[in-house]
Amino acid sequence: MFQFYQKESFFDEMFVGEDESVFPHYQGLRERLGRLDDAEISEKQRRVDTSFLEQGVTFTVYGDDRGTERIFPFDLIPRIIPDTEWRTIEQGLTQRIIALNLFLHDIYHDERIIKEGIVPEEVVKSAAHYRPEMRGVDVPKDIYIHICGTDLIRDAEGRYLVLEDNGRCPSGVSYLLENREAMKRAFPRLYRDYGVRPVDHYPELLLKTLRHLSPRPGQAPVCVLLTPGVYNSAYFEHTFLARKMGIEIVEGRDLIVLDGFVYMRTTRGLVQVDVIYRRLDDDFLDPVVFRDDSMLGVPGIMDAYLKGNVALANAVGTGVADDKVTYAYVPEMIRFYLDQDPILENVPTYLAWRDEDRQYMLENFPKLVVKAANESGGYGMLMGPTSTAAEREDFAAKIRQTPRNFIAQPVVSLSRHPTICGDNRIEGRHVDLRPFILYGEDIEIIPGGLTRVALRKGSLVVNSSQGGGSKDTWVLYH
Amino acid sequence: MRLRVHHRTEYRYPEPVSDSVNELRLYPPDTRWQKRQYAFVSVLPASRLRHYEDLNQNRTHWFEIARPHQRLVIESRAEVVTRQKVNFSAFPYGFHHDDLPRCRFREECYPFLQESAYVERTPEIWRRALDIRGGSTDVFQTSYAIMEHIYREFRYQSGATTVATRAGEVIEKRTGVCQDFAHAMVAFCRAIGIPARYVSGYFFDATRDHHLRGSEASHAWVEVYLESFGWIGLDPTNNKVVDETYLVVATGRDYREVAPVAGTYYGAGGSLMEVSVSVRRLPDGPVNGGEKDVRDLPGETVAVGKEQEPSVVSIQSVQ
Repeated sequence: MFQFYQKESFFDEMFVGEDESVFPHYQGLRERLGRLDDAEISEKQRRVDTSFLEQGVTFTVYGDDRGTERIFPFDLIPRIIPDTEWRTIEQGLTQRIIALNLFLHDIYHDERIIKEGIVPEEVVKSAAHYRPEMRGVDVPKDIYIHICGTDLIRDAEGRYLVLEDNGRCPSGVSYLLENREAMKRAFPRLYRDYGVRPVDHYPELLLKTLRHLSPRPGQAPVCVLLTPGVYNSAYFEHTFLARKMGIEIVEGRDLIVLDGFVYMRTTRGLVQVDVIYRRLDDDFLDPVVFRDDSMLGVPGIMDAYLKGNVALANAVGTGVADDKVTYAYVPEMIRFYLDQDPILENVPTYLAWRDEDRQYMLENFPKLVVKAANESGGYGMLMGPTSTAAEREDFAAKIRQTPRNFIAQPVVSLSRHPTICGDNRIEGRHVDLRPFILYGEDIEIIPGGLTRVALRKGSLVVNSSQGGGSKDTWVLYH
Repeated sequence: MRLRVHHRTEYRYPEPVSDSVNELRLYPPDTRWQKRQYAFVSVLPASRLRHYEDLNQNRTHWFEIARPHQRLVIESRAEVVTRQKVNFSAFPYGFHHDDLPRCRFREECYPFLQESAYVERTPEIWRRALDIRGGSTDVFQTSYAIMEHIYREFRYQSGATTVATRAGEVIEKRTGVCQDFAHAMVAFCRAIGIPARYVSGYFFDATRDHHLRGSEASHAWVEVYLESFGWIGLDPTNNKVVDETYLVVATGRDYREVAPVAGTYYGAGGSLMEVSVSVRRLPDGPVNGGEKDVRDLPGETVAVGKEQEPSVVSIQSVQ
């Protein structure tokens, strides 16, 4: 099966050296795959695809006319992470989410990190998602980011690096759970014998995280999931999570604010809502406070929130921590608030905002990936090595105009993982990993995360909106 | 045993206070018998943390909050893998009372034979210690007898003592909580020349009915010095030789040197302190068969303890 496999110069998740030897934790998988012929693989793949389509495990691509609903391509070869490796990741992520939460508390309260000159004031205050409305506000249980999706990549040496933190409404967890179900069906015995840590308790943990925030302790909290509606790219995930948690899924128009409390309209009258898992950006949350053209939000909800009568997860204003310029300062935050060195390092980052960095960026486009500071999902990005002269001109102009909005990182040769490509040939494709972190009474990280794979040959962009697929991720007990 | 600890201390002040300066001893050390997987200490309002190693080699974090605040939250999280130091089928007998004078002036023993803030040396304590020792010539046997004596004769009762109660008073009243029991034992040991130190930490109550005492908050016990063995942990609150269910955070001459949180602020007194500690056991090694879920082993202990007496010394506001 692997006879034509080209490892090339990248770090490979499965193969150790130049010959065909694999890491010990991949041995069992390799043997199993070796016993499959082309027809069997095609059959398994077809079954998995059909089941995804029938269940509606799909996503929407914006700005594409060819039918918006697509299945998220799924690759049958799982990514496997041994226990020791996972523990390091887990510790690094725990450290990071604590530091980010302290940072958010700080910038909306005392601003110690600004006053002591660690993070420049301009960086914080000019972030597109900085919310002055949150200054001096104590959020429930002092937690800002309850649900975080942090993207990790591995460099040429196999070190895990943090690519970005998604502290607003990270999505993808439903694919992770569905991928696991698909794998269990496709390889039931292999899965059973491999010693894989389960992930299916995620909805339970998420609900526990939400209930922890309830402003009415002692009473059974009413939690709801607020979705922007059926046209959102992650609508499938919203319905999926609401169903798994057994809570109501609501749109803005289903909620009403009366006298500083939030109520849900039901067929049996109004029901007071305690916790809202909102999958809606701050901008659209409350037309009274934020964008007044938002049809998706709930007028007056910020008032209820600031009065402490309803909890939002994630809190309002977490977008500052998402900002790619802030990202560059996270290692400093960890040193400042926790007095320790970061366990997981950042990818080296140039800030167009700094004169010398900008100069370097403008001169070295072909070596860099340029990203807009406040965009997500792979939009507003320039891949230096493959860019055209016109694209570079365009970006150079934008960077000069609004330097605060751009960062650049050297092109990291992401690790590769064997992936089934056309004609059942197995080829190396670049992968990343998005673990999901829950911060409630305790910090919980479900083992693994969503492994995204860039299906186009040579591509480094793994976002689902840009032709990425995904794999199941197995964290082992040993 | 793989243990995960979350220790949260919250202070609420009736009036805003300012200029808070605090030291924290909440960071478990890495030793041969406990391997730290990670440990994080954090403070709200978010402030800069720094650390140093104190005279007892405890990692001590400190921070200042100058701005007025009405709430202070200190959290520590750690995951530690512990190993048993003592072989329970062969206790370290063989170190005799006659050999104790040899250790008296050793650097690691000397401070732990003297009086300290909570531990007096009085003739009464010495007399009682001699009675407990009886005819024993072996240091471990004597120490064990002292532990057993406290466990049997003293009444475990919260509220009868405060954080400021000294060993002498505890021995007189024969009542207290783990801190008091540990101080009493340290006093007895030192009175008859056995080097003894105070240990703060956590323990995981692995018993089925959670009958052991002290697992609801941070715990305290005692270590005595045996020449050939080193420091051995004894828990007078539960009459137990310290095993792998115990996790050491700090050691010192007495509570003053290991207090998890200590400091001062400007403002009115009457603060309310709430402490919650959860110690969870995690699966330690390979577990075969992926389907079985071992996330929640039986015996998770989570509890909230309220104490009236905060360990922060308040300075009454200067009008």
